[in-house]
Amino acid sequence: MARSDDGIRILQGLLVFGNVVIGMCGIALTAECIFFVSNPHGLYPLLEATGNDDIYAAAWIGIFVGFALLALSILGIVAVIKSNRTLLLVYIILMLITYAFEMASCITAATQRDFLTPNLFLKQMLERYNKSEAVNNNDKRMTEGVTKTWDKLMLQSQCCGVQGPTDWQDYTSAFRTTHSDADYPWPRNCCVMNAQGSPINLDGCKLGVPGYYNSNGCYDAISGPMNTHAWGVAWFGFAILCWTFFVLLGTMFYWSRVEY
Amino acid sequence: PHSGARTMLPLLLLLLAAAHGLDDLPALKAPVLANSSLGGQITTSTFVLEQPRCVFKNVPEDTVIWLVVADPSAVPDFNNSVEPGGPGREFQQFLNGSFAYMTLNTTILNYPCPKNPGDITVLRVGSETSCATDKARPTCNGPLPGPGPYQVKFLALNGSKPVAQTAWSEPITLKKAQPSGSISVLGSGHSAGMIALTSILSILFAILLAGLLAMLIWGLDASSGSSTFSKPEAVTVRRYNTHHAYDQPAARL
Repeated sequence: MARSDDGIRILQGLLVFGNVVIGMCGIALTAECIFFVSNPHGLYPLLEATGNDDIYAAAWIGIFVGFALLALSILGIVAVIKSNRTLLLVYIILMLITYAFEMASCITAATQRDFLTPNLFLKQMLERYNKSEAVNNNDKRMTEGVTKTWDKLMLQSQCCGVQGPTDWQDYTSAFRTTHSDADYPWPRNCCVMNAQGSPINLDGCKLGVPGYYNSNGCYDAISGPMNTHAWGVAWFGFAILCWTFFVLLGTMFYWSRVEY
Repeated sequence: PHSGARTMLPLLLLLLAAAHGLDDLPALKAPVLANSSLGGQITTSTFVLEQPRCVFKNVPEDTVIWLVVADPSAVPDFNNSVEPGGPGREFQQFLNGSFAYMTLNTTILNYPCPKNPGDITVLRVGSETSCATDKARPTCNGPLPGPGPYQVKFLALNGSKPVAQTAWSEPITLKKAQPSGSISVLGSGHSAGMIALTSILSILFAILLAGLLAMLIWGLDASSGSSTFSKPEAVTVRRYNTHHAYDQPAARL
């Protein structure tokens, strides 16, 4: 009896430790997801205009799952120390529900990340950037969001277009209908600007002289933060769920050994 | 017969001169596009040429160098003596009645030879949008109306007399913009990471659900099994057993 008592004590200790880790990971998950939802790189309007901003939904779910994990881990510690069958059963069932939500969040983040290809952003940029007529208010809001985001992106990351300035030459665009090719081979923000916000040499920019215009594409500046966002939510969630799997299995075993 | 041959020769020369466009100017080095490191070398309505530096030697200082832009169909019969902007040479009618036009006129003094190394000496054809529809400016350097191809050459005029010319350039074709609606946004399928993540999580969740089921079925069956351990208070029950028998029922709570 002493040996199985020791075994059970070790299991109790492990379960308490497991729940402490789950609680801390819950806090970390909440913090990480709040960071992503706060849109630090200002790229949310681009996602919203694709009509598929599910990686933000995944981050929102992550915030609430993080809180739930924290609360449930405290419940779990109390239940294990008290060896109360009812509490343990409640803990297991609520944890399984949280597990399901977190699983949904991870899979959504991973799947939606695959959807965000360069061509998606290219088509959106060409069709929405500087579009002059809007179909309805929602369309107008999204167009303004896309235009402002691209202007800021091209200025801050010193880039032009998705794959390069030739995007504006190789395809027709809403921008091209209002700005002639001879005056604006590419938007003004593709030019290298001085401190006052005007091009240092407009003719050099229109000619495409290296040093007076941004010759690289913006896709890296877009996909970098989005990858971090999606993989951060998906893989950190995956790690938490793997750990939680073992803690739950241990708890189930512990529950079956507790007598009424 | 000899006098006939003597009159035939000048007549033959005259006919040859007419076949060459009425002036027998030698063809100097043809215009070339600017360096391809320029991002705007060719766009959908403009292109950039190298300036004709050190091409026109031995011309008077007041010579004006014109750029001739022509549709390839107008190249064989091109007449150097037609006035720039004259009938058949209006930019505004280009490809719609005129098949060539002349523009970018400047004196030879603006093309000094030799050029400073490191200077960017280019001419942007198609940069003037303000006069593109102004019929009062038939020598406008307006944007080209289509993807071409076009052929260009430089012509040196002294007053209205052609004094030198370059050869015609290779045909220059501009960029043609594809419709943005033709871009395919279909993804390339799911990445390996996403498939691994989904499958592993699904398996783990399935195991947990199975465990929950097993736990409920067997756990409720074997609530009084011999391998169950007693609660921590049960340790003191044993001690009570050996000393105080009447405390036993209370300790089982």
